[in-house]
Amino acid sequence: MIDQSAILLFITVALASAVEATEALTIILASGITRGWRSTFEGALLALACLAVIVGVAGTALIYYVPLYALRIAVGTLLLIFGLQWLTKAILRQTGFKAPHDERDIYDKQVATLSTEKKGILHGQRDSLAFAISFKGVLLEGMEVVMIVISFGLANGSQNQLETAALAALVAVVAMTVVGAVVAKPLTKVPENYMKLGVGNLLTVFGLFWMGEGVGVHWPLGDIFLLVLLAIIFLATLGLIAYFKRVNKSITEAEL
Amino acid sequence: MPLDKTLSIVWKGIKSFFTFWKDFLVGDSPILALGAIIILCIAYLFRGSAILAPVFTIILVLVLITFAVWQKTKTRRHAHN
Repeated sequence: MIDQSAILLFITVALASAVEATEALTIILASGITRGWRSTFEGALLALACLAVIVGVAGTALIYYVPLYALRIAVGTLLLIFGLQWLTKAILRQTGFKAPHDERDIYDKQVATLSTEKKGILHGQRDSLAFAISFKGVLLEGMEVVMIVISFGLANGSQNQLETAALAALVAVVAMTVVGAVVAKPLTKVPENYMKLGVGNLLTVFGLFWMGEGVGVHWPLGDIFLLVLLAIIFLATLGLIAYFKRVNKSITEAEL
Repeated sequence: MPLDKTLSIVWKGIKSFFTFWKDFLVGDSPILALGAIIILCIAYLFRGSAILAPVFTIILVLVLITFAVWQKTKTRRHAHN
């Protein structure tokens, strides 16, 4: 039987991967359209292969050689930090204190930069700049997903959970790639900030829960307490958004 | 390759490695990483109490998010005041 935490795990990893895949896709599209697809794909595929190796090697090795309580402390703390970072940024964007993440703007800037460096970069059949931009973009955007996949995969110390987390990431990346290939332009309609709010909530909740379990905190109700934590953090997020939106509105009105 | 050049490349590599992980884990909000470590210590100290440990850790997380957002909005609020 599939338990609630496995479903939550799948949703969290899939959402986090979808957000990062959207950002990586913007870089790949900019590079592919301005400088050609072959080197861009090669760079992206090599980066994906590197990420898969990191998950496979590091994830599996950690499961077998590190005690469960130590893994939970480490992954819990890591997820809590990631979750709080995502949540804070998403709240700031939602309340207008930070500019929204604009895929179109990022895409236009990338295209402008890559177009000006078109001549003199080609080496034989491979465009080294397209390869490097695509490789670096996918590797950097994917690294956070790798950390999340490994953390979620390790928290119960089972190979099954690592595979579930990796599968969730793969499903999200494939889905975003297909959508990206069909529309062939930056995915500006993806509600990135809402997704980041959701993922930030979930990462914070899982991080706190596992970190607590790692150091020996006994959560009431066991795994069901995850849902209680989720409700608490979600309500607090809504409260903060409402309050800081009001603050931002009053500042804007005073400035006019 | 001369030894000093090799050492310089190695040193640059080490520095880049740690800079990458620092940016990755701490980013532009060191308060969040520091806060998470403090919450970990508090959870460890109160781990024996079935009530205090969950209550304190949850409250601290809420305080940390609020403080981080408040701190990031400070510039705009101060400019207004």
